[in-house]
Amino acid sequence: MTKNEIYPKMNEAIVAGDRGAARALAEDAVRSGLDLLEVVEQGYVPGIQKVGELWERGEYFLPELISSAEAMKAAMAVLDPALNRQNLGARIGGKVVIGTIEGDIHDIGKNLVASMLQAGGFEVFDLGADVKLERFIDKAEEVGAGMICLSALLTTTMMNQRRFIALLRDRGLRDKYKVLVGGAPANRKWAEEIGADGYAENAVAAVKLAKSFAGRP
Amino acid sequence: MTASLLDLVKTRTVLFDGAMGTELMARGLGPGVPPELWNTERPDAVRQVYAAYYEAGADVVSTNSFGGTPLKLAAHGLDGRALELNRAAARLAREAAPAGRYVAGSMGPTGKFLKPQGPATEADLVAAYAEQARDLADGGVDVFIIETQYDLREALAAIRGARSVSPLPVFVTLTFNSFPRGYFTIMGDSVARSVAELEKAGAAAVGANCTLTSEQMVGCVTAIKTATSLPVIAQANAGQPVALADGTIGYSQTLEDYVRFVPAIVSAGAGFVGGCCGTNPDTIRAMVRVIREEEKI
Repeated sequence: MTKNEIYPKMNEAIVAGDRGAARALAEDAVRSGLDLLEVVEQGYVPGIQKVGELWERGEYFLPELISSAEAMKAAMAVLDPALNRQNLGARIGGKVVIGTIEGDIHDIGKNLVASMLQAGGFEVFDLGADVKLERFIDKAEEVGAGMICLSALLTTTMMNQRRFIALLRDRGLRDKYKVLVGGAPANRKWAEEIGADGYAENAVAAVKLAKSFAGRP
Repeated sequence: MTASLLDLVKTRTVLFDGAMGTELMARGLGPGVPPELWNTERPDAVRQVYAAYYEAGADVVSTNSFGGTPLKLAAHGLDGRALELNRAAARLAREAAPAGRYVAGSMGPTGKFLKPQGPATEADLVAAYAEQARDLADGGVDVFIIETQYDLREALAAIRGARSVSPLPVFVTLTFNSFPRGYFTIMGDSVARSVAELEKAGAAAVGANCTLTSEQMVGCVTAIKTATSLPVIAQANAGQPVALADGTIGYSQTLEDYVRFVPAIVSAGAGFVGGCCGTNPDTIRAMVRVIREEEKI
């Protein structure tokens, strides 16, 4: 297939959440020797962007979002190793450390944000739920992340988002990382008040925000 | 013998209670501690909250067992204590309930997505809710309330679980979000489809709780009412959480603003009304007052 034929199919596979097709098309692209960075940016990324638009319009809900993110992951699982062999990283978004904050075991929203960030081209280090504040920093330092995303579902545990910023400041690392906060009780005003760099209401918004921090369209 | 709740709601508006977790926090429940644990560790505090809601005028109090399915308790390593914690939640409420008042056994989401989005099977969920329902019934609840359900499929599994172990009436409230095209769960279940399926599965009353403000709840109740002949339950949030200047968390709707929309919720068709996040015994007291005023007219 030429790229004019294959790109729309890749786009469709993501919008339809078709994991099998997304993977098969990626394998096809590798075999045909296509420019794989272009495949990612012009074949797959427009698909996930379209999914984001459908979500924002209330046409797509969580099941569709999850299926599409899974399809994107399936394609990237084929493309990433091939790109690495060519010494080209598709993870141009940079590295993100994410987790549900200390004291909070809720991870559905966080998992979704992690999937969508990964689908959006970020290298994601997911620390799980009930993550100690220090661990976010230690992991970010270890992998050289640029962003730290903190989720909290409870009004009590969202206080730890504030404590995290203070801890980052105490360790003299506040300006080194962009800190994004999310979760049911959080909102833009809260993010501003605690001195976070940004707030996202949902997974689609989180990807947009992360991309804006990474200087990507 | 007290008339059943389903008979009572034919004669007047029936009041549920408000939030539980925040009331326990006000009594010292720490962050990260599952509230259900207090049913055995701090029974006096739990009983006090129940009593405060009855005293405020609630006809029905929901048990402190929202996170009490064995699947949810497992997240805290407490799944082995489901029977003890749920039974205690119900017994304490029974003890606190004055004559002629009711106890609803609260069952919240397991926190696990069903396949293909998550690891859980329908059978897992049916079994988890069956166990919790059996334990709550053992503790003496009058009805079950399966609440804050964001996935219709989980709510249906919960009904099946409860009905497999007990003849008690099953009330179900889903959490709907307001979208330009109407009210949907985050999984995309519409009000019309949800209500029809819940009714078919044997729910005795259906409705909505959490997320929506009391103002938004009016429209949601209207949509639910047009889709079912079952009694409708509405338990709105007092708006959204906001950080207050003193470092604590409040809710965006004031008590006055919240209660202002209660008559409209009732006239839209809700027979059972109560509160969700951000509400407390004062909210219920004010709701009782405004509802009884309306009933006189």
